[in-house]
Amino acid sequence: MNCEEYRKAIAAEPSFDGGAAHLSECAGCQAYRKEMQELDRSIGRALSLDVPELVLPELPDIDNVTTLPKRRRPALTFLALAATVVLAAFVGFRMIDTGGEYGSLGEELLAHIDHERGALVVTDVPVSDDLLAQVVPTSIARLDQNTGLFTYARTCPVNGKTVPHLVMQGERGPVTIILMPDEKISGPETVEGESVRGVILPVGDGSIAIFGEREEALDNIERKILDSVSWST
Amino acid sequence: MQSSNAATTRRQRFDQFVGIYHQDMYRYAAWLSRDKAVAEDVVQEALLRAWKSLDALRDDSSAKQWLLTIVRRENARYFERKRLETVDIDNLTASQAALLAVEEDRELDDMRQAIYELDDDYREPLVLQVLMGYSTNEIAEQMGLKQGAVLTRLHRARARLREKMAQR
Repeated sequence: MNCEEYRKAIAAEPSFDGGAAHLSECAGCQAYRKEMQELDRSIGRALSLDVPELVLPELPDIDNVTTLPKRRRPALTFLALAATVVLAAFVGFRMIDTGGEYGSLGEELLAHIDHERGALVVTDVPVSDDLLAQVVPTSIARLDQNTGLFTYARTCPVNGKTVPHLVMQGERGPVTIILMPDEKISGPETVEGESVRGVILPVGDGSIAIFGEREEALDNIERKILDSVSWST
Repeated sequence: MQSSNAATTRRQRFDQFVGIYHQDMYRYAAWLSRDKAVAEDVVQEALLRAWKSLDALRDDSSAKQWLLTIVRRENARYFERKRLETVDIDNLTASQAALLAVEEDRELDDMRQAIYELDDDYREPLVLQVLMGYSTNEIAEQMGLKQGAVLTRLHRARARLREKMAQR
């Protein structure tokens, strides 16, 4: 791979991770890669327009509503799931299935945050209480209303489970909080990304991940979140 | 009674999707149309269509792609119905200008303006990749293109944005 090929690839997909041999020898392409990744962060911020409050249209009654059966998982998937359960039991209490794509839960979380850059917007516009209640239903967790200003709330897939992904505004920028009620870990794990750092904290039978800018003082937010969240199960 | 339960379940399923994906639907519509008011109309139409055809969605994990496809179609229908020409970026209406409302952050403003000025062919794959997290394969499927064409458009889109930002 030469410089032109590498730069075309990285400009089409800034997360492109091929061409490692060329990259390691070419300072120009290393700088170009960094520039493209910064450009992409800037694009992500610009694309994240403020969204007006949802007003649903009048929904007509649907006659003869029937709930269609969900698509059945292929038998192979069930076998794979069963194998995963057996393997997890064999390995012991460590309940994190890192899957084939990521080496650890921390890596998956970093990739997810990078993937969902639209969430990391500096804003003082909170999500609605309704949306927050939908994303963090009381069947999963109880979240103290005074926790702080949540500016993003969505359910996201992490390690095969659908979990609440929230963003609060910290002193240095947006802070990501991912509630994982079923992700048991044995102790706190620190995670270092390129531009963010964070921690995964064990909470009961689950865990909570908190990520912010490198300069962000996460201690206060960690305490606040730990005081505010309790699992429902 | 069974019908009532089914209706409640159906409504809950719809509300869940809307709660999760409404923001994506609106932002996608806004960047497709480059107009906030049009985006709100398109999203309303898309929600109505999604409600009516919800039972066609067999796999919940495809809900996001399904909803964004509906938004894309509704946006095309809207412009067809209104017979709107391509947005003239030198003569913006208030609603179009609102998309570019001035922020305190100059760099953010400049980037937003630069994206706004991109051709539709370059802007849409960029939105799908950066904002919606689509892979180039998924973008190709959504836009009816070959993956190579998507890669070229993304490369050119970023090259243009880089150039424009360097000029500001």
